[in-house]
Amino acid sequence: MTVLAQTAVSGAHPEIAWAAISPELTLFGVAILVLMLDTAGEQRPGASLLVLGVTLVGAGLAGVATGAWVLPALAALAGVAQLALTARWRRRPRLLGAVLAGAGFVATIGLTAWQQATAPAQTVVAGMVAADGVAHFTRYTVAVAGLLTVGLGFGYLEERRIHRGEYYPLLLLAATGMTLLGASADLIMVFIAIEVLSLSLYILTGFPKRDLTAQESALKYFLLGAFSSALLLYGVALVYGITGSTNLAEAGAAMAVVGTPVGLSVAALALLIVGFGFKTAVVPFHMWTPDVYQGAPTPVTGFMSAATKAAAFAAFLRVFSGAFGPLVLTWRPALYTLAVATMMVGALLAVVQTDLKRMLGYSAIAHAGYVLIGLMSVSRDGVSATLFYLLVYAIMSVGSFGVLTALERRTHKAVALDDVRGFGRRSPLVAGIMALFLFGLAGLPGTAGFMAKFAVFRAGVEADLTWLVVVAVVSSVIAAFFYLRVVVAMFMDDEPPEAAAQPPLAPRGAVAASLAAASAAVIVLGVVPGALVDLASRAATVAL
Amino acid sequence: MLLALLALHVAVALAAPTVAGRAGRWVFAFCGLAPAAVVVWASGRAGGILAGRAVEETLRWVPALDLAVTLRVDGFSLLMIALVSGVGVLIFAYSWSYFEPRPDLGRFAAALTGFAGAMLGVVVADNLFVLYVFWELTSITSYLLIGFEDDKEEARGAALQALLVTVAGGLAMLAGFVLIGSAAGTYSLSQVLAEPPTGTAVGIGLLLVLLGAFTKSAQVPFHSWLPGAMVAPTPVSAYLHSATMVKAGVYLVARLAPAFGAVVFWRPLVVGVGVATMLVGGWRALRQFDLKLLLAFGTVSQLGFMMALLGAGTPEATFAGVVLLLAHGAFKCALFLVVGIVDHEAGTRDLRRLSGLRHALPITFAVAVVAGASMAGLPPLLGFVAKELAYDGLLADAHQLGLAPLAGAVAGSVLTFGYTARFLWGGFASPVDVRAGAPPHAHRPSAAFLAPAVTLAAVTVVLGALPGLADGLSAAAATALQEHHEPPHLALWHGVTPALWLSVLTVVAGVALFATRGRVEALQERVGGLPGAQEAYDRAVDGLQRLSEGLTGVVQNGSLPVYLAVILLTAAVLPGGAVLLGGSLASPPPLAESWAQVVVTVGILVASVATVMMRRRFAAVLMLGSVGYGVALLFVLQGAPDLALTQFLIETLSVILFVLVLRHLPDRFSHHRWRLGQALRWVVAVGVGVFMFGFALMAGTARTRQPISRYFLENSLPEAGGHNVVNVILVDFRGLDTLGEITVLVVAALGVASLVRASRRGEPAGP
Repeated sequence: MTVLAQTAVSGAHPEIAWAAISPELTLFGVAILVLMLDTAGEQRPGASLLVLGVTLVGAGLAGVATGAWVLPALAALAGVAQLALTARWRRRPRLLGAVLAGAGFVATIGLTAWQQATAPAQTVVAGMVAADGVAHFTRYTVAVAGLLTVGLGFGYLEERRIHRGEYYPLLLLAATGMTLLGASADLIMVFIAIEVLSLSLYILTGFPKRDLTAQESALKYFLLGAFSSALLLYGVALVYGITGSTNLAEAGAAMAVVGTPVGLSVAALALLIVGFGFKTAVVPFHMWTPDVYQGAPTPVTGFMSAATKAAAFAAFLRVFSGAFGPLVLTWRPALYTLAVATMMVGALLAVVQTDLKRMLGYSAIAHAGYVLIGLMSVSRDGVSATLFYLLVYAIMSVGSFGVLTALERRTHKAVALDDVRGFGRRSPLVAGIMALFLFGLAGLPGTAGFMAKFAVFRAGVEADLTWLVVVAVVSSVIAAFFYLRVVVAMFMDDEPPEAAAQPPLAPRGAVAASLAAASAAVIVLGVVPGALVDLASRAATVAL
Repeated sequence: MLLALLALHVAVALAAPTVAGRAGRWVFAFCGLAPAAVVVWASGRAGGILAGRAVEETLRWVPALDLAVTLRVDGFSLLMIALVSGVGVLIFAYSWSYFEPRPDLGRFAAALTGFAGAMLGVVVADNLFVLYVFWELTSITSYLLIGFEDDKEEARGAALQALLVTVAGGLAMLAGFVLIGSAAGTYSLSQVLAEPPTGTAVGIGLLLVLLGAFTKSAQVPFHSWLPGAMVAPTPVSAYLHSATMVKAGVYLVARLAPAFGAVVFWRPLVVGVGVATMLVGGWRALRQFDLKLLLAFGTVSQLGFMMALLGAGTPEATFAGVVLLLAHGAFKCALFLVVGIVDHEAGTRDLRRLSGLRHALPITFAVAVVAGASMAGLPPLLGFVAKELAYDGLLADAHQLGLAPLAGAVAGSVLTFGYTARFLWGGFASPVDVRAGAPPHAHRPSAAFLAPAVTLAAVTVVLGALPGLADGLSAAAATALQEHHEPPHLALWHGVTPALWLSVLTVVAGVALFATRGRVEALQERVGGLPGAQEAYDRAVDGLQRLSEGLTGVVQNGSLPVYLAVILLTAAVLPGGAVLLGGSLASPPPLAESWAQVVVTVGILVASVATVMMRRRFAAVLMLGSVGYGVALLFVLQGAPDLALTQFLIETLSVILFVLVLRHLPDRFSHHRWRLGQALRWVVAVGVGVFMFGFALMAGTARTRQPISRYFLENSLPEAGGHNVVNVILVDFRGLDTLGEITVLVVAALGVASLVRASRRGEPAGP
């Protein structure tokens, strides 16, 4: 137990690598700041002053107590900034929240880049948190998805009148949990991170409180999520029982030792698979996905599909491909079956969907299956392909949900296939961007989606998973059908008469910027992915 | 340089809409520059390539993924380039006359240029994945071009069908490439062909690749998309759907056949499918009234012929196939251009309405006769040379292939003769069928409109009469595919050989077929079409939809209990099975340590069963509470009063919360009528219960390390200065975990606050 070993050095303050976890701290700090701002309210400078006072006193006490002044000073600074900004944007509290959240995500990217450039791959905070390539890449993915979500969701939330103050803190807390999950080097940390992100997402899903669909999906998500978390926890307990450690490196090493009770270790791995499988929407633990994707506010759906998947897969990767990699022959058969089912069920079920959000939900399941191939490769190439896939998928997924968000603002209801007929004639640019995302999701050459699929499939073939790759290709055939069907409807069908009365869709401001950035990324990464692939391949280091 | 030429296509395509905005129809002149540049480049390099020195270029695209673009031009590729870019230039010239000025010409020209680039990529790609990329790009650009006149419902359906069939085939091909490449250890086409891998996986891979080739080249039973694609503007039909794109499948098979021809299923399958396609296409062409559809089925038929020849993988047949490829490109394209002119000038393509056009459009008629004669295989045209070679080759290889392919080829050629005659007679010579309405008045086409078709017809004549001119190219193409003992040669006159007699037979039978066309049409009416490939496509799309719907009904019915049951059962069965199979119970602990425990446990069991049996919600909650209190009692018996106290508090609190919520819910549970459902619930509940029991038992006895509690007890006072071990664990030993949990609490509190605030503020229902 590294924790114990460290605390055993009595009298000294435990050394905590603040820099290594600075991205998480930033996200968390901004979340609290935005929350304070919201509490201070629109026209309550008095309350805002009170918050500032409490912050200053707290910061002072913390500084005196620990002797470290960096964080308290930052907190005090944040307090002052909060007061200033509240005064500046008194009438537009949500804008302030959105800007701060965006700044938080940008800062996360910056801090991660700094960490990646300067710090070696290692575990910090008593072996609980890994600061390695997987962690960095997950941070990038989550932060990019978060940034795009903030840009795409603002107007939508305003118009649905669900733009409550907690939205941005919850988003940031979810992101904190996700980045932490990607960096967890200890099963306890995995569990806590999953709880942080899950709770935030449960609430975000049910954010439109008067919308019965949203409420139903939030409840389903919560109940099923609670069960799967419990099963994950059983798995953690069993691992601890067998190996005497929750630390991934120690547990993995102990599990690989000959003489470990086989039945028990298989049971533990199976329980962990259930837990991760639920979060990554692997069949048969996928059932919540379409319902929840459909019910949640669309920007949240995009964020959820992209960032949750990235974070959960990063942890899945670290635990299975990393810590329990030596046991690959034990767990691969089970995952093999699940991967085949996931790819086929996801693609087949998406075919009949007419609700586009739901269709993307099923397609997300199929994509989880493709990512599993990278994970099951248990190789450096596999890790880097998985990371690359997750980032690319995040961009395409958030982007396509972003276009749906814009469409929903026009139709004021869930967008069905019939609603986008002829959309490309009226708004060729937006429809073209949507088509680009769909082409990418289908994995057509020239888009980032192709590169991602190629990388994953290649890793699979090299790991002798050729048949699994063949199944994946078949699943891609089916998937191409429903993606292209939307493109056909947009560009080649006639517009329904009621749509003809509406003005063309011309996004502006943050929405336009986000869509432009995402679509540029899909093209650039599809044509010259070299730099990012290199980054992913250098990031393919798992520190335990 | 090749890469630059490909890039030039992209650049021209991107610029096309802008240019069209300024220059109107002249955009075609601008776009024609791209294929023209390729022709110039290829002519410059032709000497070396014909001498057997292939041109190779490599761009390392994504080094980290070993993804390199390797392009390679050998003799066969050069021949394909002649078709792709040479015909391409003519098509652009033709389009300039064909189209009236219209606002979306730029889009069309861009897609056409894009296609020309993609098709060029297909025939020069050496890496299998690069080949696949260009392959799919041709499908997509073809889709855009077929659907160009997208205000027609028919055009959209046809475009989608063409796209789905070819893209699906392409993806199957990709899977095949993966299997073959992984067996060969390389994804370079030339290296795979140099050392062909063997094995079951390779066999399956080849089948998948053939699936892609068959769909792309409209082979039976996937041929129905090609006639449908005839809704495209005529330049597209002439270029994509006769001269180039549909030959991609033939191209690929030609490349693979010499290396894999020995695989046991290869020859029967490829040659069989090819011959069947030739016959089906020819038969269907005989009863078309639309000139373009007639040509389309004719193309299907000829593609089958080429597939059979090039798929046979023997030197003679390969050489014949190569020549046929060239001849077909010229004559079929010319015929399509003729149809376009007829359609443009006379306003219809229905051969029942057309008549006497030979007087109105003499040059067009001449071109049609020349190209048609070449298609029917009459001397002294290139089509004749090709057919002679084919008969010759199939005869020579009869020991390998049997006589069936030869018989099929002859029968197919008879049909070809028949539909060619039907085309020429119906389009230009026949007296008008009065039932079909008055004959339209035809305009004279301009010289520029005619020039491309005349050029192609001239090529047919010149190369037919002086085959020596094409000798170098076709010989180089054939030797690039396969080693020949002696370099093959083209000749118009082979002497009195069996092949010549077969040609005579073909012509005689063809004339007879044309003479009895009335009876043949009547027979066709009675027989009807073959059980349709079109229906199969419709049914496949339908079936996928239905399978998907059925699956959704079963696995995704929206019921929370079902979802939960699946998760729980999986969780119980997967690890439970593992425990049963691999677990061992070293020393089971005693069942009970005191009678008090037994009493309490029985009470808990009774209460839990009662919880499930209760019909009233409130009673069920109380029973659930009793279970909790029972567990707390067990804690007391074990000597953990503080834990028991916590449990009591939690239980009490939850019961109170439940009661508060229950005020808003109906008194009783909704009644279950479905007996089986109820039984399933029992199964799930008991199953999970048993699993948990076994799990707890195993976990308790599986300890291999020292319990950590001793460490905590020993160190909590000296290390952390705390008497209460639990407190010390929470704030010190596992302090970071506690911090995390506090964060979780923050989030939870935020959620509660959010709910409370939302219900206070008004918010509109629904999105």
